[in-house]
Amino acid sequence: MPDRNFFLSPKASKARLREAERARNDRWDIIKAHSQGQVSRRDLIKMGLFTSAGLLLPISGLSPFARSAFASSNIPTGLPPSPLGTATAFSQAMPRFDIFPRIPVSALTPAPTAQANTTQQPVDPALGGGFGPIEGRPPGPIWAHQQFGLLPPAIAVDASVEGAKVNTTYNPGVPSNQNSGINPATPIPPKFHPNLPDQQVDKFWTYNGTIPPKLMQVRYGEPVLFRLHNRLSVLQSANGGFGIHTISTHEHNGHHGAENDGFTGAFFFPNQFYDYHYPIVLAGRNTINTTATDPLASGPTDAGGLNKVPGDWHETMSTHWFHDHMFSFTAQNVYKGIAGMFNIYSGLDRGAEDIIDGVNLRLPSGRASVSGKSWGNLDYDVNLMLADKAWDRDGQLAMDIFEFDGFLGDVMTVNLAYKPYFEVERRKYRFRILNASVSRFFKIALSDGSPMIQIANDGNLLPNPVVLTKLDEQGIAERYDIVIDFSRYSVNQTVWMVNLAEHQDGRRVSKDLSLSEALSGNSDDPCVGKFLEFRIVRDPAQPDISQVPATLIPNPDLSNIPVARERVFEFNSGANQTTNDPITTFFGPWGIKTDGGATLAADYGRISAAPKFGTREVWTLRNGGGGWDHPIHIHFEECQTLSRDGSASKVPAWERGRKDVWRLRPSGEVKITLQFRDFGGMFMEHCHNTMHEDNAMLLRWEIDGAGTPFLNPLPTPIAKPQGVTFMAPDDILPTAFY
Amino acid sequence: MNTSLNIKTRRLLFSPTFVTLLLGIVAVLVLGGPSVQAQTTANDTVDSSVTIAVKGSVADPNGTVNVTGNVIISSRRVIDNTSTVTPALVLLDFDFSQLKGTSGSGKALKTYITGGNHADEIRPFQSADKVIVTIPYFDSSKDALSARTMLATATLNFDITTGKLTSASISVGNNVVTSAAVGSVTTAPIQ
Repeated sequence: MPDRNFFLSPKASKARLREAERARNDRWDIIKAHSQGQVSRRDLIKMGLFTSAGLLLPISGLSPFARSAFASSNIPTGLPPSPLGTATAFSQAMPRFDIFPRIPVSALTPAPTAQANTTQQPVDPALGGGFGPIEGRPPGPIWAHQQFGLLPPAIAVDASVEGAKVNTTYNPGVPSNQNSGINPATPIPPKFHPNLPDQQVDKFWTYNGTIPPKLMQVRYGEPVLFRLHNRLSVLQSANGGFGIHTISTHEHNGHHGAENDGFTGAFFFPNQFYDYHYPIVLAGRNTINTTATDPLASGPTDAGGLNKVPGDWHETMSTHWFHDHMFSFTAQNVYKGIAGMFNIYSGLDRGAEDIIDGVNLRLPSGRASVSGKSWGNLDYDVNLMLADKAWDRDGQLAMDIFEFDGFLGDVMTVNLAYKPYFEVERRKYRFRILNASVSRFFKIALSDGSPMIQIANDGNLLPNPVVLTKLDEQGIAERYDIVIDFSRYSVNQTVWMVNLAEHQDGRRVSKDLSLSEALSGNSDDPCVGKFLEFRIVRDPAQPDISQVPATLIPNPDLSNIPVARERVFEFNSGANQTTNDPITTFFGPWGIKTDGGATLAADYGRISAAPKFGTREVWTLRNGGGGWDHPIHIHFEECQTLSRDGSASKVPAWERGRKDVWRLRPSGEVKITLQFRDFGGMFMEHCHNTMHEDNAMLLRWEIDGAGTPFLNPLPTPIAKPQGVTFMAPDDILPTAFY
Repeated sequence: MNTSLNIKTRRLLFSPTFVTLLLGIVAVLVLGGPSVQAQTTANDTVDSSVTIAVKGSVADPNGTVNVTGNVIISSRRVIDNTSTVTPALVLLDFDFSQLKGTSGSGKALKTYITGGNHADEIRPFQSADKVIVTIPYFDSSKDALSARTMLATATLNFDITTGKLTSASISVGNNVVTSAAVGSVTTAPIQ
């Protein structure tokens, strides 16, 4: 029995379960007061609930790790297990994602504008009253859509964030027999399993307020205007005890201007919208293939041809996701359901396996000749969003924000469904696997140890596919695209996806298990073991003509691009806060040390790095601790991994493409290289264990050395319902600029 | 902006339960509750590696595959000096890229490779550990989609004092996943 275990066994004594329930309820009151703006973290420190480092004190009746009154001294109180009632594993079909409708830009009212639309509207008294802009994007030229005239939106997606409701417009994009028999015309209530209760409107917030999670399908050469309405309650108290009703959406990891990046301080309020302009361009578009003559640099046309675009085809991306990025509330808001996936289609990665033109890699997807869709076929191309959740004794989504090491759920969900099954044919499938957890890492294998082919990492097709019998650990926000060939099985056989990574707390994986160990049911971690069942139900109606070529997308050649600067970021505990702005600063146990300076807690008014536009740099990401892992995410442009722990040979084959999230591993170090081109503005770098990010392992960096309307340095947006104002940065690190 | 809406507001609107809880906690603190202070200190990492000559065989649909080659096991022992409760851990990398297999002879000779396979594992640090991992292998004249799976059982010995991996052995055999939950499962071959 480990000496730290986050969840109690359902077999624990009733006394201990009651004790744990009491402790959780005690914490719940604090969480509620904090999330509803009644008390700040500073107040909690003054009250003696937290240490100055932001840690919850291990007080009996409060902390899950305080000594239990009912057990030996080294066994903690733990958390009560989530009630499952009559819900059983693998008894519900896994829903495919729900595709956002693509609409003409002309259908948007009001029409999108380069600068934020500051048309005034009354502001609800609960938000302070008066008048404020209809769009929450910071106003003026600094936050205008960059290259809006050059890359005008060709299509639009009109969506919202709102509380849970029944989905009556489900569009999985595939026929029912490719969706485990789910009838899309049947309304889908907001619940994790048919035998679990509906989630209440204040407990579960998602895009459009519904499940399944949403999928945006886009293609190179077709800029998208994503209009997002905040339809959450104006009452912050209507949050079900956690989450905040101000939001900001990050398209992870789009190559676009910072005004579209979901900057953590560019959040907006209920009754406002925010226009995100996703140009869907290849990096290097201003310097490489500028006349768009290379057919490899292209997007698919509706007629099955290629729409050639400027830029470097080696920068082609495929699997993204989008999620909330609200400052110091990202963990809560994403956990509440504000996350979706984003498939980018290109000439290379077409989503149509039967188009043979010498460019299309013909990865498993579906046939254009069958569906009539020349791109974006999903029959055999499946998005999987993995997330651990927990619910309270009433079956409502529950979270505990005060274990700053990281929050773990005790129930596995796939596409927000509790341990579902998925029907497959005897052929190859592509799975785009996203880890959308708060703090949990996964390590995935098939239950019989069969090989899988990893083809992409973080949305980037690898230079070469890698055959694996178990994937590497998958950190939060990492995306692994794999191909599984189910032709090795017979009809009516079953195989499961299994999680081998055992956690005892949110710091890191405590142990990677063998398949036998993970399947034994003996792990104390309830999320170890089988979580998705594949039922092989039939032979394919058409022969499988999809391919996994030996060469996918080689890395961009950076050898002729000089390294302008090296920087070192060290991710530590014990952070200090040197600024005190009530809006832009936060503090907590976590922080980042930049270029040998102090370890600082997040302040989005502070500029920690300011690379010059048009340059390339080398960054070292260092884990300052041996007791935890950090999945570090760098926004904006994909990077190449140069070394791990000082050695290029230690970069595994599945990380030799481009990436945007790196698990540093305990006491580990990663050296990467990246370019700063095409767009500018303020971006972020942070731990994607969102409990670490929120408390307060995040920094701002910006590109503002060239072009217009960039300023130097950029002013910080201060969001209010009555309008966004700006203030000068409250801190600029001495090493930030040249 | 209305200050009551400010996410950093200092105004307190406690529920009665919250006030009760607070009073209880203050009492605990007065009575000397334990405290935890995060701090960053140097971490204790020790790198080591061993290379093992491996020999074994796997029953394959194409006949017995004899497996030979070196496996490099790299180890990094990590001690978290910021915590008294977090156990030391070891990060392991098994480099299976030099493993090769053969079956048949003469014109029927087939050669098998692992596709440069590595396995990365995180384990609690202890004097001896048994790590069971699966390894893909496939006919070198075909692509990785035809891969099947063999099982490697590694026995590792560490010097508790130095943190170094001192010796290891690896046996290679058929992949049979055995557990009480599922019984014995063998990997399905490509049909």
